[in-house]
Amino acid sequence: MINRRIIGHFDFFLFGTAVVLALLGVLGIFSATIHGGPDNAFLRQIAWLGVGIATCLIMVSVDYHFLADHAYFFYGAAVLILIAILFYGTEINGSKSWLILGGLRVQPSEFVKVIVVLALANFLARLNEDYLKRHHLLILSLITLLPVVLIILQGDLGTALMYFPILLGMLAVAGLKVRLTAVVLLVTLCVAPAGWFFLKEYQRERILATINPDMDPQGIGYQTRQSQIAIGSGGFLGKGLGRASQSQLGFVPEIHTDFIFTLLAEEKGFLGASIVLVLYLLLLMRLVRIAETARDRTGIFIVSGIACLLFFHALVNVGMTVGVFPPIGIPLPLLSYGGSSTIMTFAALGLALNVHCRRFVN
Amino acid sequence: MGRLKWLRAAFVLAFLILLGKLWQLSILEYQQYRELAERNRIRTIPEIAPRGLILDKEGRVLVDNARSFHLVLFREEIKDLGETVRFLTRGVRIDRETIETQVRRARHYASYQPVVIKEDLTMEEVSYLLAHQTEHPELRAVQQPRRTYRYLDLAAHTLGYVGEISEQELKDNRFQQHKPGDLIGKSGVERTYNELLAGRDGKRLVLVNSVGRTIEEIGAIQPVSGRELTLTLDLDLQLVAEEELKENPGAVVVINPQNGEVLALASRPAFDPNQFAVRLNEQEWERLISDPDDPLQNRIIQSTFSPGSVFKVVMALAGLEAGVLDPETEINCRGGASLYGNYFRCWKAGGHGRVNLRRAVQESCNVYFYLLGQKLGISRIKDFSQRLGLGLPTGIDLPGEKVGLIPSEEWKQKYTGQRWYAGETISVAIGQGPISVTPMQLARAIGIMATGTAPAPHLVKESKTVRAQRVPLPSPDFSDEHMQIIRDAMWSVVNESGTGRAARVPGFEVCGKTGTSQTISQSARARLSKEQAERFNHNAWFVGFAPRDNPEIVVAVIVQRGGGGGAVAAPIAGKILARYHEKHQNDRRTLQVAANASSAGDPLMQ
Repeated sequence: MINRRIIGHFDFFLFGTAVVLALLGVLGIFSATIHGGPDNAFLRQIAWLGVGIATCLIMVSVDYHFLADHAYFFYGAAVLILIAILFYGTEINGSKSWLILGGLRVQPSEFVKVIVVLALANFLARLNEDYLKRHHLLILSLITLLPVVLIILQGDLGTALMYFPILLGMLAVAGLKVRLTAVVLLVTLCVAPAGWFFLKEYQRERILATINPDMDPQGIGYQTRQSQIAIGSGGFLGKGLGRASQSQLGFVPEIHTDFIFTLLAEEKGFLGASIVLVLYLLLLMRLVRIAETARDRTGIFIVSGIACLLFFHALVNVGMTVGVFPPIGIPLPLLSYGGSSTIMTFAALGLALNVHCRRFVN
Repeated sequence: MGRLKWLRAAFVLAFLILLGKLWQLSILEYQQYRELAERNRIRTIPEIAPRGLILDKEGRVLVDNARSFHLVLFREEIKDLGETVRFLTRGVRIDRETIETQVRRARHYASYQPVVIKEDLTMEEVSYLLAHQTEHPELRAVQQPRRTYRYLDLAAHTLGYVGEISEQELKDNRFQQHKPGDLIGKSGVERTYNELLAGRDGKRLVLVNSVGRTIEEIGAIQPVSGRELTLTLDLDLQLVAEEELKENPGAVVVINPQNGEVLALASRPAFDPNQFAVRLNEQEWERLISDPDDPLQNRIIQSTFSPGSVFKVVMALAGLEAGVLDPETEINCRGGASLYGNYFRCWKAGGHGRVNLRRAVQESCNVYFYLLGQKLGISRIKDFSQRLGLGLPTGIDLPGEKVGLIPSEEWKQKYTGQRWYAGETISVAIGQGPISVTPMQLARAIGIMATGTAPAPHLVKESKTVRAQRVPLPSPDFSDEHMQIIRDAMWSVVNESGTGRAARVPGFEVCGKTGTSQTISQSARARLSKEQAERFNHNAWFVGFAPRDNPEIVVAVIVQRGGGGGAVAAPIAGKILARYHEKHQNDRRTLQVAANASSAGDPLMQ
């Protein structure tokens, strides 16, 4: 399966960009945990990074067609695991979405993202039509909704919500006619306000606070407000490593995970933060390029799905730190601390690299 | 595939939006966020400087500071004011309205300015707050010295009280070193010498984390205590004065006529300035200001009274100095005199018979002074009164002094549009009518007459730290002979069968003059009920000094609605003079012995 020709097409640019971002993340985690937080988090993150890169290389080595062909098998297994978690999972930070395996905390819902992308890509690849039909849309939605419902049941609304933009992005690539687009949008618009009533009180407040962070700076808009203060007070060049008073004295929560971008921006200023954003954009652009040059529809849908996955995570996470999205508690892939997220991201990138390597192979 | 172009465009657009937002926060609004971050992490904890002690002339502490804790609210830390209020009302004796009032009052101050919610917490309250510090980082018990007036309402008007600086005062240049929430002197010497007493507050800058826990101290400015202030007051005399006045509305002034030092100042009824050190609640304040006897009024310098018969000694010296009076010439008092078509009565219905100056003063004969007034005329009476500082500010180092009034033809023309009637001069000649002075003025005037010097009365000696702007009156240059005549006449008031016998102190040559001034006219009085008449009874005066030669002490006593000066005011003065004599007779005896010894030891003198 692996041959020299394939290795010769390995995309070092994509891989390199990802590793640089991950190293910046390690640096950030180091700084974030100087004044408390988990011990040796940055060392552990380096270990996760090693595991992630290994996973990535494994993902490159297996032909993506094999993975796509078995997508429904993986999907079935993922659904079973999610169901199992509802009974045997461990609750951390209010969501019962964790499994403890030999002392390690694993969040399977992270990996399910890649599996869903694979499943959606597989379904889309087998359609040989320029535009999607209504029943295709229905099936795609169901593929997405099943894990979403399970994840919501685990209590992890933020993670669950991230599946929808991925689906929408892939639908857009697959092609939706205007009439069907309208239907999708209409359904979304109808479901979204209805969803308001299913939200918990604090979740509604968070959304309101994003719209108006000054509404109650000490109360519900607190996180957003403090994050904005941190970023704003960093100025152009930042306060310097380890001197981010806002982040490091605990005004900003979760700086080694969800709010790591805030810490980076406070320490390294506008300059550092925009370098991170530009690196991210380069990575995404590269993914789109890989999708464009992919050999077949399977490759296109896999890579564009992965691009959407990473894009929406970055958009919502960074958007939440600067105050354009409510804080819904999702990590910034590659930068945030966390084994599951890191491994998932590198696995996803491995898939993309896989597609890239095999673009000329029959 | 063409659709991927759209994906690319969407990515770029989204990232541009994020970059734009980032630019807005960290470049455009940088200053604002930087300040917010600094305020977040650095908390300024005030270290209140204790005010200087206030001592009497012998170094006895009158006012000091007690350890006390204030409850302070950091408004920026409030998460839910309702919850904070509930928390407070559970463990601290304070009601909702008070908290809300305090917060409302501070609404114009910068939000990082802490607000004092309650003064003088109990130890239980302090431990309640400390126990819940983590849940309520917005609240803090801050140590603040509480002003303590050791003798409660003793000399309350003179010492004054402290209170939170008002918005009005904040705009005043005198208080420019102060910030909202500071305690400043509100009255008395606390106010006059506020700058000296206040000291300079310090502060501690501490780095705090998001739950308000101190991480480290990053700087401190030590508070500088206020300066100690030694008054000229003598606690012993003050105690006697207060004790003797009891709850009678009135005032006592005791000064040293030779140097202007004020030895005692009592004004009754008084208030307890300790109550002002903690925030007065509505009812207490209401009670103080609605009391018809007005305990907040400093009767020594803020109330003006007709001097009554005390004014006769002023008239006597004025007559002598003007050369219109021969002290030995007698007039015949038949109980009244017809002057300018009116009949003016003497207080003694049967008349005093033949009286010269000495007897006229001793028995306070009105007719004698009616005739003297007629000779002098209002203009000379006024000029002479002003040489004694009557109707002029004494310049004592207390705030809010009133000047009173010595009438003149111009004054009447100006304020009533009417001509001065010669008959009015006759009333003024016995200290009635439109003449009013403060007890402080009268004490100083008597001092000037007794010594011939006119030092400015003061409570604090001029020193390096106290630069007083005192304007003494020009030297009166009275003839020694005339002054001696007045002193002798006043001596006879107390020591012969005069009106002031109750002020007599064996072994101490007390001189004085009583006065009983009507508070309203006789005809108005007749229209009043008995109860009202009681309320508008006479004011009793006694003004005196001792000893006769080289007077060291002047006492002025007024008891409002007290009746006769000889019966009510003179005994109070007597007690004070006796106490003074008791304290100082040993000094005098020692001096005497020393003088004798030195002359005995001098062979040339033998």
